[in-house]
Amino acid sequence: MFRRLLIANRGEVAVRVARACRDLGISPVGVASESDLGARWLACMDDVVCLGPSASRESYLRMDRVVQAALQQGCAALHPGWGFLSENPRFAALCEQHGVTFVGPPSTAMDVMGRKAPAKAAMRAAGVPVIPGSIGLLASVDEAVACAREAGYPVILKADAGGGGRGMRKCFDEAQLRAAFVQASAEAESAFGSGALYLEKYLEGGRHIEVQVMADRFGNCIHVGERECSVQRNHQKLVEESPSPVLDAATRARIGEIAVRAARSIGYVGAGTIEFLRADDGAIYFMEMNTRLQVEHGVSELVSGLDLVHLQLQVAANGRLPIAQPAVKLAGSAIEVRINAEDPANGFRPSPGTLTAFEFPRDLGPGTIRVDTHMQAGDSVSPHYDSLIAKVLAHAPTREGAIETLLACLRRARVEGVATTLPLHLAVLDSREFRAGTYDTRSIPGWPASAR
Amino acid sequence: MSAEILYLRARTEGEHVLLECPGVGLFTNAARDGMALVAGARAGTLLTLGRAYELRVPDDVAGIVDGDLHERVQAPVGFGTVLYRLRPLAGATARSGRDAASGAASGAPLFRSPSAGRFWHRAAPGEPALVSTGDVIEAGRAIGLVEVMKTFTLVHYQPAGGLPARARVVRVLVADGAEVAEKTPLLELAPE
Repeated sequence: MFRRLLIANRGEVAVRVARACRDLGISPVGVASESDLGARWLACMDDVVCLGPSASRESYLRMDRVVQAALQQGCAALHPGWGFLSENPRFAALCEQHGVTFVGPPSTAMDVMGRKAPAKAAMRAAGVPVIPGSIGLLASVDEAVACAREAGYPVILKADAGGGGRGMRKCFDEAQLRAAFVQASAEAESAFGSGALYLEKYLEGGRHIEVQVMADRFGNCIHVGERECSVQRNHQKLVEESPSPVLDAATRARIGEIAVRAARSIGYVGAGTIEFLRADDGAIYFMEMNTRLQVEHGVSELVSGLDLVHLQLQVAANGRLPIAQPAVKLAGSAIEVRINAEDPANGFRPSPGTLTAFEFPRDLGPGTIRVDTHMQAGDSVSPHYDSLIAKVLAHAPTREGAIETLLACLRRARVEGVATTLPLHLAVLDSREFRAGTYDTRSIPGWPASAR
Repeated sequence: MSAEILYLRARTEGEHVLLECPGVGLFTNAARDGMALVAGARAGTLLTLGRAYELRVPDDVAGIVDGDLHERVQAPVGFGTVLYRLRPLAGATARSGRDAASGAASGAPLFRSPSAGRFWHRAAPGEPALVSTGDVIEAGRAIGLVEVMKTFTLVHYQPAGGLPARARVVRVLVADGAEVAEKTPLLELAPE
């Protein structure tokens, strides 16, 4: 196992990876931008290297500085977390060139699956159903317009290097598409370091269902069940759960098998997620593969009892997967809500500021509560980065039990000083549609459409 | 082939001027205790992934190195690590921070930022700026983007608060990508 590892990220994921490092006896080294330097979560690192000023592109996205930081800190490996450089094959290749083990897939597999256009081509070739749209990347706004005409409106623009809904724009006509193209490109450039876009026919509604896979370097690959992520706003996931309330056992087995086959076909290593769209008619389409740990990995951990970050580190260190598919037992139901510093009553306007209270009771049952966060009362939420401040997860033998556990926790939670999505989650979890499992990506169950 | 040049960052601390590292890497060829460092002088090398960057002293700085802070060969440093502590030479001061929107003609109409964030001149890298000096703007014209928590919002000209309905842009007061507070002046205008 590695002795020392650089965590090339910030906030909640940096803390999550540092915890796994401690469990395995690895010394975690952090990085920070100038404005993050005083942050309390950096206390969980054995050392911290300052990368640059607050803007991500001058700090967390500076590949040369990040890899140099790993080298001069004596780190044998680097965990990219999610976002930032985590799905950048050039960055993975740079790590490989400099002898730093990148905790993730080989850059070649990432190059195919990390960028959406080649991924779609690979899946099409493998006979997996894909959504109609551009074949490859869009060179110009005019190409986007031509492509949209062929696929038919509405269409959706996506960042080739994207994820988490950033750099995505839905367009109902040509004028909207032309206007959206430049903004989506700018957002993608800033968030991922690449402004390349592609386009797909927008399928109204449907459910977002994704399968967690994990592979080692010896050809072993397992899936850890699915996650249902259909409660979204502008393609930003708000609530995730496992198992999905709409899948029957046969479909579950089928998409799990497809996901493992897809990962094997490209020589995938490490943690990955295959995202599927389940259309209203029940058809399943491949959407994309995220070649990294997901924000919502915790729900899969709760139902499987596995620690996905431990497994990531073990397979990165040339270990064999310690578990085979028949031994992966999924038990009970897990639900996660993302607490973002955004005001849901005010158009989800970002709400940076200082947290004056930050408490989640964990003992109200009937199930168990897990809180993943890097914040505590007195900390300030930076205006420079993502608005995620905590993830609250509940696990119980039944879905009803998980909902009740999470509701009990959130009703008694105290989060003060900044506006958060907490009131939204209370409304969602308590809504008839959510409890019945009859919702899709179009609307937030229990939350008025006008407030979106 | 000459090495790429990076300027050190200067700030004052009491009587001293501190010169900080502008990147991450191995700092080598450091100037020694007692040497004079003045604006433009070479002040060591930063090695980042094997590439050598020549470090130079920024404008308006002149001083004597007061003590060795690092090993002279390949000291690992990060962004903002203090590389030199200088006793200033008489008459020299460290450059104060970024120039604010100073110098706008007093009383000229100013269009201000609707929110705090990072102000961008163009919609995408490589695109022309949305507004330039001399442009005539009217209500609703997009003049830039403000980035808050990775979300980009177009800023539209709103002739409220006594601003002219049609105006000529005299100056863009904020650099591309600069941080702005709510109500930071973005444009100096003249009625058209």
